[in-house]
Amino acid sequence: MSGTRPKTFLSGAGLVWKWQRLVWWIFAVTLIFGFLSTQGMVDRAADTLNHSLASKRLVDGWDVSAVVELMQLQNNPIEFQGPAVIHFSIVFAVFMLFLTGGILTTYLRDEKPRTSPFFEACGQYFWRFLRLLIYFAIVLLPIAGICAGVGALYDKIEADSISPFPAVYFFVAAAVVILLLLAIVRMWFDMAEVIAVADDERRMHKALRRAARVLWHNFFSLLWLYVSIAIVGLVLFLVGLGLWMTFLSPQSNILAFLLSQLMILAWIGTRLWQRASEVLWYREYAQTSVREPVWTPSPTLVTQSVATDPES
Amino acid sequence: MQLARVLAISTIGLLFCAPGYAQTAMKKAEAKPAAEAGDAVKKPLSTRVVAYEIDAKLDPSKHTIAATETLTYRNLTGKPQQTFPFHLYLNAFQPQSTLMTEVRLAGTRGTGPDSEWDPKHYGSINVDKFEVEGMGDLTGKMEFIQPDDHNANDHTVFQVTLPQPIAPGASVTFHMTFHDQLPKVVERTGYAHDFDMVGQWFPKVGVWWKDAWNCHQFHATTEFFADFGTFDVRITLPQNEIVGAGGDLISSVNNPDGTKTVTFHSEDVHDFSWTASPSFAVVEDSWTGSQGPVKIHLLMSPGNMPSAPRYIKALKGTLRLFDQWYGPYPYDRITVVDPPHGGSDAGGMEYPTLITAGTAWWMPDGLLAPEVVTEHEFGHQYWYGMVATNEFEEAWLDEGINSYTEVKVMDALYGKETSVMNFPFAHMGETELQRVSYLGEPDMDPISRFAWQFIGSNSYGGITYGKTATMLITLEKLIGEDTLRNALHTYFMRYRFTHPTGEDFLKTVEEMSGKDLRWYFNQAVYGTNVLDYEVGDAHSDPLNWWEKHSQFGEDKDKNEVYRTYVTLQRKGDFIFPVDLQVKFDDGYTATEHWDGQDRWVRYHYDRKAKIVSAQIDPQNQITMDRDLFNNSYVKKSNAFALYKLRNMWLFASEWLSQLLAWLT
Repeated sequence: MSGTRPKTFLSGAGLVWKWQRLVWWIFAVTLIFGFLSTQGMVDRAADTLNHSLASKRLVDGWDVSAVVELMQLQNNPIEFQGPAVIHFSIVFAVFMLFLTGGILTTYLRDEKPRTSPFFEACGQYFWRFLRLLIYFAIVLLPIAGICAGVGALYDKIEADSISPFPAVYFFVAAAVVILLLLAIVRMWFDMAEVIAVADDERRMHKALRRAARVLWHNFFSLLWLYVSIAIVGLVLFLVGLGLWMTFLSPQSNILAFLLSQLMILAWIGTRLWQRASEVLWYREYAQTSVREPVWTPSPTLVTQSVATDPES
Repeated sequence: MQLARVLAISTIGLLFCAPGYAQTAMKKAEAKPAAEAGDAVKKPLSTRVVAYEIDAKLDPSKHTIAATETLTYRNLTGKPQQTFPFHLYLNAFQPQSTLMTEVRLAGTRGTGPDSEWDPKHYGSINVDKFEVEGMGDLTGKMEFIQPDDHNANDHTVFQVTLPQPIAPGASVTFHMTFHDQLPKVVERTGYAHDFDMVGQWFPKVGVWWKDAWNCHQFHATTEFFADFGTFDVRITLPQNEIVGAGGDLISSVNNPDGTKTVTFHSEDVHDFSWTASPSFAVVEDSWTGSQGPVKIHLLMSPGNMPSAPRYIKALKGTLRLFDQWYGPYPYDRITVVDPPHGGSDAGGMEYPTLITAGTAWWMPDGLLAPEVVTEHEFGHQYWYGMVATNEFEEAWLDEGINSYTEVKVMDALYGKETSVMNFPFAHMGETELQRVSYLGEPDMDPISRFAWQFIGSNSYGGITYGKTATMLITLEKLIGEDTLRNALHTYFMRYRFTHPTGEDFLKTVEEMSGKDLRWYFNQAVYGTNVLDYEVGDAHSDPLNWWEKHSQFGEDKDKNEVYRTYVTLQRKGDFIFPVDLQVKFDDGYTATEHWDGQDRWVRYHYDRKAKIVSAQIDPQNQITMDRDLFNNSYVKKSNAFALYKLRNMWLFASEWLSQLLAWLT
């Protein structure tokens, strides 16, 4: 039914910009969690680094051997706090799952998110989205199987060819396909969430079925919407990384911090942009689509005289 | 600079055209005997103990070699010899061999402990017939021996007792028929696709050394040891194969059956290896040193051609500096083999006048792996090739000294801070590379230990390569860089084409420096001592602390006198003299020298100034120090490095959060 809607792309961004406080909230929580998860390293490394002239090796450039050397010290003061980071990442993921209902409600209603209604919406949809998450994990299983198959095939191609390139080309092609598959699955579940909020659908399997139907009939326009926003996000990320690694002077700590956080902010923004665009798309879709009538009109014979206007 | 850029681009363009060009060049070279090889009856550079003549036929589809070998051995041992041991290295690639057992236990080059070995990695060498001229067929007299570990399943060494002894000064000629099954490339040798790297492939006699036969089994961490001599090798293989070998090409004759026979001659070397692949692209170049021109023969694998100029540049730079610093390169050729994709385990290996390098299609310019490996393997032409030390028993003499000269050469060619990695956002130098390699397991084994007796491959690598290099860099502090360079030059010139020992090297260093360095060598070479000094405490205290105006935290009175204490601690068991530099806030700098004998020492200074910093080894010469971060203390805290680290860790953890959140 609905064709490509270029306006949705821009108006989605407009919606994110309009209710940008959502982006800032999420960013603030990310930052706080990030600080908390790295605090252990900071506490331990401070004793080793802050009063040592050897730490200059990390200040005036980035001497990789200094990092390796620190990791080889008995107390490994800069050890990446894996458990802490994973713990906070999981908490953040749950937090985002919780927020999703409020975010979608805000975008659907296009009104200023006030605390009580926002969190009411968060709570209202949380359990539904948790059920969706379980479905999502089930759907990811075949994709994991595809990944394993691709891995095995990659190994075989690599082993069979004297040139490294056939395996590389295969890997790139397979990666594109898998990423597209993941994008499609994410788009499908995002749509199910939108339907759950927009139509107050309580049965998630039904929301998924409806989302699949919508997706099936509007596949390319929706996919392009998602992929184009993802490309914007990726480009922003790569530009940021390039700036950080190439142009920033080794002593630019503050600039590096600002740039890295800008990259995270942009990433959050583009993800919400996808959600907002999909909400707008669905709103328009719901308004313009012709619903099947629930009753069948019976033919009625009407006799009437029609006046003919010669001017018309 | 612009000219250099244009030249570089032109060179790359030429190199991309090289496959076609190179085939022609190769054919021309094969059509007529090499002039250098044909002319001369030159004075031997070495005492030639062995003369090998091998006639081999390669079956590239099965990766097998059928060969006959005639070995003439001159008995220069000064004693009658009746029993002769021989290496059969390829038999190491069998499931119950000593090498495999050790790999399963502790891992080795590119293979972790408990690795499952694909049967394709099995290789073997069988001697079908063993005759001795004038004594008949002695095949039945061959017996496998296991001098190192008595593993009856290890068939990497056999010996034969002759019916009668060979008198001192006399020669004996052995005739052998043998066949090889090459493994899928593993431990430097074997095949990958259509590439065959044929190393340690023929029965090789042991070395009479220190009044006994030295013929060790092939171990996971050991390399090789052999006598100097001559090699005349004929190889028959399909005509489309491009061959590289550690010898001069004498002739190439096409046979009616679609094969060709290439003949190589090499002298004053102790090994002969070769490689063949129809997929090689050949790049020819040359370099002229103090002994005349050296032909560079580079065999590039598909996909790796962009690395060819990097190999050439590194090789020429290394040739130049070795010639200038350590001694002349006396051979007229060097072959560099770039193993193909899937054959990287054949890379990073040295044979006389032939080395294998290693790169990848994606290798960025800022990662100097092709340069490092080229430099390192070429360095072995000196430290192993000519100074032919026993790699089984004293691996540090080739790998360690070679790692030290790798530091010196790479630093000179590519910059001290950037000789391993040179990106805008990160860098790494060779000194640090060797140091961190050593720091992985610094105290499990002494440098001087036999190579197969290390606790594991990590300790072997870290100690043999990294610790030796780091030990020699630290030695520069004691005797000076130039003196050590002179010592290496003397050692090379004195011991080239011989089999010196570790003591020969250490005594040369002592002789050239005019110093007794036993106290250092006993700890660094023969011991497992770890060097670690620390600034334990450094602070300034008002001398008249009881007076009211001298309370802590108040601004310094110009007339206030402070007593500054600096305490140094020796945390490790390695005793080494150290310098201390103490800086004050009035600009004054005090320097001290501590012999390091005691566990700690405390210095104090009474000045109208407070301490700014205290630093052990201000010249950063004691690279053996395990922890450089505790070598200094700066009074004023500076969290810049910490925040930089935190920035990265913070970004990584936030990024992970976003990825997980994507799932919801």
